[in-house]
Amino acid sequence: MKPKLILGIAAIVGFTSLLMYNFGNSISTYTNFKQASNMESAHVVGTLDKSKDFGFSMKTKQFSFYMKDQNGNVRRVIYPKQKPNNFEQAKRLVVIGKMKNGVFYANDMLMKCPSKYNNTDPSQFSKNNASKS
Amino acid sequence: MIGFIGKGLVYAAFLSAILAAIGYFLYSQKDEERYFKISNWLFGLQGLFILAASVLLLYLVMTHQFNYYYVFEYTSRDLQLKYLISAFWGGQEGSFMLWMMLATIVSFGLMKWTRKPYRGPVLFFMALSQIFLLTMVLGFHLGDFSIGASPFRSLAQAMPNAPFLQANPNFVPQDGKGLNDLLKSPWMVIHPPILFFGFSMMTVPYCYAMAALWKRKYNEWVDPALPWTLGANIALLTAIFLGGYWAYVTLSFGGYWAWDPVENAALVPWLLGTAGIHMMVVQRKKSAPSKASIFFAIIAYVGIVYETFLTRSGILADSSVHSFVDLGLYGQLVVFMAVITLIGLGMFIYRYNDMPKQNNELNLMSREFMTFSGAMVLFLLGLIIALGTSAPIIGRLFVDNPTPPEVSFYNNWTMPLAMIAAILTVFGQYIFWKRQDPESLARELTWPVAATCVISLATIMIGGIHDIYYMLYILTAWFALIGNGVIMVRLLMKNPKVIGGALTHVGFGLLLLGILASSAYNSNLLDLATKNYNQAVEQGKVTDDQGFKKTQKVNFLELKLNQPKIINNKYKVTYEGYTLKNQARPGQQQYRIKFEPADGDGEQFTMNPQVYPMLSASTSQNIQWSVDPDVRSGLFSDIYMYVSGSSYVEQKNDELTKQNKKTEAQPASATEPDTSKTQKIKLQKGESVTVADFDIHFKNYSPVDSTSLQDSTIVAVRAHLDINPRGSDSSIPINPLFSVYKKNGENWSYAPPVSIPGHDGGSIQFSSVDPSNGQIELTIRGVDKKVKDQWVLLVAQEKPFISIVWIGTFLLMAGFTVSIFRHWDRERKKS
Repeated sequence: MKPKLILGIAAIVGFTSLLMYNFGNSISTYTNFKQASNMESAHVVGTLDKSKDFGFSMKTKQFSFYMKDQNGNVRRVIYPKQKPNNFEQAKRLVVIGKMKNGVFYANDMLMKCPSKYNNTDPSQFSKNNASKS
Repeated sequence: MIGFIGKGLVYAAFLSAILAAIGYFLYSQKDEERYFKISNWLFGLQGLFILAASVLLLYLVMTHQFNYYYVFEYTSRDLQLKYLISAFWGGQEGSFMLWMMLATIVSFGLMKWTRKPYRGPVLFFMALSQIFLLTMVLGFHLGDFSIGASPFRSLAQAMPNAPFLQANPNFVPQDGKGLNDLLKSPWMVIHPPILFFGFSMMTVPYCYAMAALWKRKYNEWVDPALPWTLGANIALLTAIFLGGYWAYVTLSFGGYWAWDPVENAALVPWLLGTAGIHMMVVQRKKSAPSKASIFFAIIAYVGIVYETFLTRSGILADSSVHSFVDLGLYGQLVVFMAVITLIGLGMFIYRYNDMPKQNNELNLMSREFMTFSGAMVLFLLGLIIALGTSAPIIGRLFVDNPTPPEVSFYNNWTMPLAMIAAILTVFGQYIFWKRQDPESLARELTWPVAATCVISLATIMIGGIHDIYYMLYILTAWFALIGNGVIMVRLLMKNPKVIGGALTHVGFGLLLLGILASSAYNSNLLDLATKNYNQAVEQGKVTDDQGFKKTQKVNFLELKLNQPKIINNKYKVTYEGYTLKNQARPGQQQYRIKFEPADGDGEQFTMNPQVYPMLSASTSQNIQWSVDPDVRSGLFSDIYMYVSGSSYVEQKNDELTKQNKKTEAQPASATEPDTSKTQKIKLQKGESVTVADFDIHFKNYSPVDSTSLQDSTIVAVRAHLDINPRGSDSSIPINPLFSVYKKNGENWSYAPPVSIPGHDGGSIQFSSVDPSNGQIELTIRGVDKKVKDQWVLLVAQEKPFISIVWIGTFLLMAGFTVSIFRHWDRERKKS
């Protein structure tokens, strides 16, 4: 019985440490453009820089825009898909990808839209009232 | 007033549930029948109060009382009846109400069918869980301390800081925010009730396990608990299937599964529940108690509460596509989870030594060991997925601000475990039905193994599979399918009632095959030029204008109107235009994409992806476009496509930008007609001409009754023209006038320009007519001379064998259903 128990515990410990090790490697932290330059896959958080042009180019089939990260660095972001829904409304953007030569190539993008709770935009009411009444 | 009554009803329900729980507790301890009767009445009363409160909430929704936060937040006047009804469970508060109603129905079943000595404790724990759910909608406030968020709170109560409400607390909006367009799907109407029915039923095995520990009767509980657990399993599986199918046909990520926390939230309890079912089945067969089945029964419900916590506390807000509104329930959910877990595991540990010892000989060839191994694999799968979902919490051990794990984490861990599970199912089934020693098992498995090898080899060769890992995976999946298939056929001939297990395992094998085929061999439909470009990108040959290597491939299919492209040497694909007529959503365009076989013969078909303005998110300055993909399902492969952009959408956006600029820059002043944009066109009757992005068709003309014109009019004609935006199948008739009248002895012409619909500042003037041949001349102003291309930009994918995923899932459901009937039948005969 004893050796079996030890074997069992060793298996559990081995499995758990491998799992946690792998888990630790597969998550990363939200970061900024500066630190992203030496990362394979970075999650950069920021906001859209509306002072610069953004749009989808039919020629290159890419959507490009400028994003300001949380430290204030502004970089061009290239995203190989169409402009996502709610892009302009997003309070916060998370781009997932790789920094290369000062340009961030995003493979994925998440948008955090304004919270509905407690700070509903009053214009929502006026809009609805104007259009429906 | 109604809100006040509603809140009162929730409080009444809460009170009844507490009293019922106390009653059940006393009954469990003292075993006096009257406690049970009174508690049942109290619990029934609780259900009645919840029902009444729900009816009230539904009434508020139906009568559009937008001064209530819930009604304002989730509904609007234009919603169809079915979406108004489903809005009742569209928000967090309402979905708790639904959950409680379904849990009450389950409790009625428990009152009727649960036997002594379990029924007291079972209903006590049912009531306990109900009390926790009720606190979530209580809406109790005392200073800064609050419990729950009431569905009956008013706007002013929900948003105390909103300035427009501070100015006018009695403000009632005219209309609500409405339902997200993506959720307007019949699948999403039935998905939540099924899911919560599953949640409610999954409470039952927990209650039974706790009752077993309480009453120290560790064996008999599995018989009545098994059908409930199976029922919970089917409900969860159905809900997962509906969610996946909805995501596939509605969303544009192009699949049915994305390891999103909300999906995992239903999958983890399902896996744990399935692990529990395995242990219960083997315990019943052996009729010897097992600690593992009690443990799994507890952990399955803990899984539900934990995942409820994850998805509803706002903790996953950054990592899920589901934007659950954070209602500030965090603390309550933690307490709920802690109590359920601590009582459950606490009791388990407390009684651990009291539970009968199992004979611990590790016999590899016993069905107990095989089933236990299977259950352990399911348990590990559940744990790993729960770990991944918990990244925002557990990830803090490694980094600050953790991101969700990469998808590869889930795939890398679940794939090998699924392969082990596949092999175990076969050994398990062979040993389950007949005592086997290694030799007899080897003998019996010879043919299934041989068949598996041949079929796997054929699959690998036909499918062109090069990855060794995938080859192994295919081998195990076919093994599960064939091995269990053989067992199933044998059982079918002897006693069809018991095929449930074998059938689910066949479904599992199929599911594995379908998952691999549809996800790993999913390909984009692209034309040759794009394919060559992507290949060049792969080889690092493409550079951008700054000389840097490009790494991102292009996965779009661009089609010009009526200019076919050859795709994959298989299809000739043509964009045939769009239609704006008779659409369910205002402003929706339905595109027509025709597929013909590239070599000419064979079936042709048309796909109709759609684009529509999202009403809830659009304003008069900015349209938010949303897409509705089209899926053509086939037995061997699906074609999935959505419109990523089109000339119509671009033109609409340009128009809006132009309008916005105009209102900003120069209000009121009319723009000067741009002379560079003036062109004259001559047309014969029946002829058409192409201008910018529309066609003008000259149908005929008719003389005008001159009484409506000036007295001196000599001749007046109207031209009947059809303006047809190119690509659209609808046209707009316009009838410009040309007239000649006499003034001061001279002939003057009067021909007012008619504006062109959809072209701001554009106009058509019927400027002259040639009486000799009937040719008319039109002067078009404010429209580009250049003929504009009409195009559509598609994302199209071919997904092989997605049908197998669905069939596998249906077989799983069917297998579980067969098992329910079997166990339920037996239970009924007992009582």
